[in-house]
Amino acid sequence: MEAQSPFTTLIEISNYQSTTGKKNLPGDFALWIFIFAEMLVFGVLFVAYAFTRAYHVELFNESQLTLSRTSGAINTLVLITSSYFVVNGVSAIKQGLSKQCGYWLIGAFLLGGIFIIIKILEFHAKYAADISMSTNAFYMFYLSLTFFHFMHVLMGMIILAFIIFKVLNDGYSAKDYVGVETGASFWHMVDFLWIILFPLVYIIR
Amino acid sequence: MKYTSQAVAKPYFIAAIALFLGQILFGLIMGLQYVVGDFLFPAIPFNVARMVHTNLLIVWLLFGFMGASYYLIPEESETELFSPKLAITTFWVFLAAGAITVLGYLLVPYASLAKWTGNDLLNTMGREFLEQPLPTKVGIVLVALSWLFNITMTMLKGRKTAISLILTLGMLGLAVFFLFSFYNPVNLVKDKFYWWWVVHLWVEGVWELILGAMLAFVLIKVTGVDREVIEKWLYVIITMTLVTGIIGTGHHYYWIGTPAYWQWWGSIFSALEPIPFFMMTVFAFNMVNKRRREHPNKAAVLWALGTSVVAFLGAGVWGFLHTLAPINYYAHGTQLTAAHGHLAFYGAYALVVITMISYAMPILRGRAANPERAQIMEMWSFWLMTVSMFFIALLLTGAGVVQIWLQRISTTPMSFMAVQDSISIFYWAREAAGVVFLIGLLLYIGSFFVKGESRAIE
Amino acid sequence: MKQINSQSNISATVIWLILVALTLATWRIGEAGMVGKSAMLLLLFIAMIKSQMVANYFMALRHTRLIWRGIMFGYFVIVGGLIALAYLRSLA
Repeated sequence: MEAQSPFTTLIEISNYQSTTGKKNLPGDFALWIFIFAEMLVFGVLFVAYAFTRAYHVELFNESQLTLSRTSGAINTLVLITSSYFVVNGVSAIKQGLSKQCGYWLIGAFLLGGIFIIIKILEFHAKYAADISMSTNAFYMFYLSLTFFHFMHVLMGMIILAFIIFKVLNDGYSAKDYVGVETGASFWHMVDFLWIILFPLVYIIR
Repeated sequence: MKYTSQAVAKPYFIAAIALFLGQILFGLIMGLQYVVGDFLFPAIPFNVARMVHTNLLIVWLLFGFMGASYYLIPEESETELFSPKLAITTFWVFLAAGAITVLGYLLVPYASLAKWTGNDLLNTMGREFLEQPLPTKVGIVLVALSWLFNITMTMLKGRKTAISLILTLGMLGLAVFFLFSFYNPVNLVKDKFYWWWVVHLWVEGVWELILGAMLAFVLIKVTGVDREVIEKWLYVIITMTLVTGIIGTGHHYYWIGTPAYWQWWGSIFSALEPIPFFMMTVFAFNMVNKRRREHPNKAAVLWALGTSVVAFLGAGVWGFLHTLAPINYYAHGTQLTAAHGHLAFYGAYALVVITMISYAMPILRGRAANPERAQIMEMWSFWLMTVSMFFIALLLTGAGVVQIWLQRISTTPMSFMAVQDSISIFYWAREAAGVVFLIGLLLYIGSFFVKGESRAIE
Repeated sequence: MKQINSQSNISATVIWLILVALTLATWRIGEAGMVGKSAMLLLLFIAMIKSQMVANYFMALRHTRLIWRGIMFGYFVIVGGLIALAYLRSLA
């Protein structure tokens, strides 16, 4: 029996090794499917936020002022910097420098920790002010989006921790670093999403 | 069969198919009662037939999952089952408990059944799908624990693979979430809220782990593709399933008195539930296309591919049809739900259990694959059952759309029963499709008795 | 080989500095309380440019097939466009 797939093209794209010198996606393709799916989820949430706001402009503008733009901005800098560290970590392992790679990634991990702490302080302030997802539509989106993103930061840190552990035990080399690239791609996605989330929810009005 | 203890799967598989037949017969009875209201009344009223139809579904699928894991885990762990004796004892206990419960439904008025089985002590009965009397519920927990224990112990003493890990995790979730069936708060909102923790988190959560593991196992066996490739896909699919499925529970919380944010959470996350199913389809076809061997059991390959496609359509597409809150506002609890329920259960769960049975049963009977004639019969039964189930889903979708229109959108809305009368043509056609489904199932059962030359296990 | 890597490190550093600068600009605009159509479009544009920079340079998609950059650019156009549309509607 012949199994003719209507999806073969999709798979071929994923296995594509170009003759023109173009590379595949960095890291494991399976994780990239996941990254695209996650981007889709956030994309839908971003657009839903914007359109819901269009019906409650006053409410959104008013509630938005209660957010700390400064802590949001600091967190953006923190994530951007940790992403930059991860880039350096990947290029270190490509040269076979396991130690350096490990240090860059530890730096990225610690910055992730700072993000988490700042975020918890923010959540705590809202909790103390008796604000919940049922308070109004703005806070529903604010809390949902940031909490969901928060969980991704935690997830990314767990992935980084595994990679740090492995890289410091010489588990990767200049020839075999797909695992590092995979984790790095996930971490960049976390950064990518926050870069849109921050101005959208904290600043633009 | 590599390990003799795998043989305990056989009685489970036989019981599963027998109960499947029972489920379909009660389905046909109910289907007729939709249009001939007093058919078999008062012997088997509609509510009883429905209860038996849905409960048998759950029980036969559980038998299938258990049988599948008793077959799969020793092979994955490369060791004999921890205790075949316990597995067989569990089988008889479960079968007896199931039979007594169904007889109880059929022979005793439900209220008396509740009274005699201690519902006053701990009130758990009377809720859709969780109708089982208290002793049966306790029995289900014990059976699940014995199963989980046996499987976990087997895995611990042998090789640990991603497939066996995910399967065990699914079973653990199944056991844990069933505990919420004992929690029956007086507050109706809370009651429904936690009721879904059993119903939804089973079928759109932990059961999908079992489904993924079983499908991956069969695909490794019939295609010979590298385990690493299959396991990687399995992990990604499972993660997506859990992220979308768990938060997707919110699509049941739109109109039951829960906070309004569930309309957003439920809509967005459950709208993405088709993605892991789509990935499963891509995965299955891709693996079969990359196959490194021609397994003699062609029928099993067909069932496996069928699972991935029909699961995507039934669970993914038909679920998506009415999952967004603004649409669900109109579609809630109509025949559209029934259409989705039928195609999703058939595609995702009935088919995966049959896939497993179709793959394992010949081996349990001492051959790599069934004789060609038997396989051709199986393929016929696949197409008959699948096509007729599609018709059932399409007809119920038609019925649902008309129902929504006449009852909820029209400027002169009609009453529920008047609408039911006006869509009876759909129900008649659905009943006819049901008869074809029964023929397909009988053909499947018949394929077990076909004699002929078959290849021995290499 | 070494040289290529140090080059890509330098370009990553440049990108990082640009991202930091754009973040500070976003924060300043917010603190200044700028509102209205042009401020909104500017901020949204900055955010989307930043995300594309992360995708192309940090995720290293600029070396990959067009389709992957296309998906990211599509994200930029569709998500950014729909958000802008929603905001413009509320201003109108």
